[in-house]
Amino acid sequence: MRRLAYLVKEAMTNIRLNRTTTLVAVASTAFTLACFGVFLLLYLNLRGVVSSLQDDIKVVVYLHDGLSAQGLSDLQQRLRSEREVAALSYVSKEQALADFREQFPSESHLLQGLGENPLPASFVVTLSPRFRSSEAVKQWVKRLTTVPGVGQVQYSRDWIENLATLVGFIELGAIAVGGILSAASVTIIASTIRLTLYARQNEIEILRMVGATGAFIKVPFLLEGAVLGAVGGLLSLAILRGGFDLFKLQLGPTGRFLGIESWLNFFPGHVSLWIIMAGLALGFTGSLVSLIQFGRASS
Amino acid sequence: MIQLFHVSKYYDRRPALSDINLQIEKGEFVLLMGPSGAGKTTLLKLLFGAERPDDGQILVQNRNVARLRPSDIPYLRRTMGIVFQDFRLLPKKNVFENVALPLMVQGASTFETRRKVAEALKAVGIDHKKDHRPATLSAGEQQRVCIARAIVNSPIILLADEPTGNLDPHLASEIIESFKVINARGTTIMVATHNPQVMAQANRRVLMLEQGKLIADPKAGL
Ligand SMILES: Nc1ncnc2c1ncn2[C@@H]1O[C@H](COP(=O)(O)OP(=O)(O)O)[C@@H](O)[C@H]1O
Ligand SMILES: [Mg+2]
Repeated sequence: MRRLAYLVKEAMTNIRLNRTTTLVAVASTAFTLACFGVFLLLYLNLRGVVSSLQDDIKVVVYLHDGLSAQGLSDLQQRLRSEREVAALSYVSKEQALADFREQFPSESHLLQGLGENPLPASFVVTLSPRFRSSEAVKQWVKRLTTVPGVGQVQYSRDWIENLATLVGFIELGAIAVGGILSAASVTIIASTIRLTLYARQNEIEILRMVGATGAFIKVPFLLEGAVLGAVGGLLSLAILRGGFDLFKLQLGPTGRFLGIESWLNFFPGHVSLWIIMAGLALGFTGSLVSLIQFGRASS
Repeated sequence: MIQLFHVSKYYDRRPALSDINLQIEKGEFVLLMGPSGAGKTTLLKLLFGAERPDDGQILVQNRNVARLRPSDIPYLRRTMGIVFQDFRLLPKKNVFENVALPLMVQGASTFETRRKVAEALKAVGIDHKKDHRPATLSAGEQQRVCIARAIVNSPIILLADEPTGNLDPHLASEIIESFKVINARGTTIMVATHNPQVMAQANRRVLMLEQGKLIADPKAGL
């Protein structure tokens, strides 16, 4: 107990020892995590949108007009048995015409002169979640067009695909920005800890002489780094939250009208916690780095 | 208790100690004498694992210090007390906390710490200053705090490097008397000094070092 109290007290002394550099370290960690957080917010929000859109992906399988009742039922059987298919509904020629009339009442005269119903019957397929990636859908659709009785196969892919690509890029961006800035903030924290290490070199030497283990000597410095990092993480959350609310405010009525507002979400609790933990880990790593360097220099 | 076999230590290829052979029994009080630069500090450093010999073997309580892993050195030091010429007290901690340090790093209980620190402070006669910061104490008092810290853990061996170096003759003599009392309780003591007063007053086995060589040791017939 006494030992723990001592270690915590020493860490606090370290933090007080050089306030300016401590502030710089906290600020840089906060900045790092805030930049990363912007990407993460974008990523999480867009990914949410994409997956809700992907839920809506429907593949429409148009049928040849001459298909017999038996052929139709065989085809239905066959589609049902495909792994890609979650649900299947049949739209007859008559139904298609009725739908068309209902959706485009002013254009329905276009069909008038054609006499016979030109619209094909179709199956509307809802894909099972596992096969909603654009690549999988593409493969399957290609295969489907060769099935007898099947005419065209249509699905709304392009813009969802583009969005998915964008999300991929953002993911990459987040990793790159996160990586580079993390390295920077580890370096800054490491140099902060290094300052305390050199300022307390004599004390460290004394601790060694009275039989303190390496771990005992290191703990206050690791604690110092972890605290700096975690505070930086907390600060970055505050910055992000502020920015996020400001952005929503800027969006104002337009956003509400477009329904964007309901899509925009701040980090859920566990992600916020992860960001603080990331700060803590950065700080811990920073002090570990400086301790290793210090250990090499002093032995 | 302490044995050295053909021990040599070089700094930048210059020998600080060469071919030292030495044996110290449990409960002995040994003086390590010699002019400045003779290698006294180096010898003590080898004993508590602050330096490693370039040649030879060192046994301290049957542990081969020359081969000790760095992670084992703290445990070696917990069986020893070390007194420095420059005291090495923590300036921001009071006397009690300074003396308690060796117990604290081992995780001793509060109760045990209080008892042992009080005992050690009493043994060197400085218990009335336990709440003072080192800077408010005289040199003699600081040295006594340093000794209290060295004995608080009931060490088997006490090593002292020029413990009277910063003290006037009167204070120096008080320090020697404390060592004698500590030694009488069974602690093996080795004091490095170039102060002849210490030699005269202690009146114990004297090892003479000169330019890194052991030139006098009554026990070895040198
Ligand atoms: N860390 C060191 N680096 C280089 N030379 C050293 C070091 N420590 C001691 N020496 C040299 O080793 C010799 C013995 O030094 P030391 O053991 O301190 O002598 P003493 O304590 O008897 O005065 C001296 O010549 C000194 O200059
Ligand atoms: Mg010396």
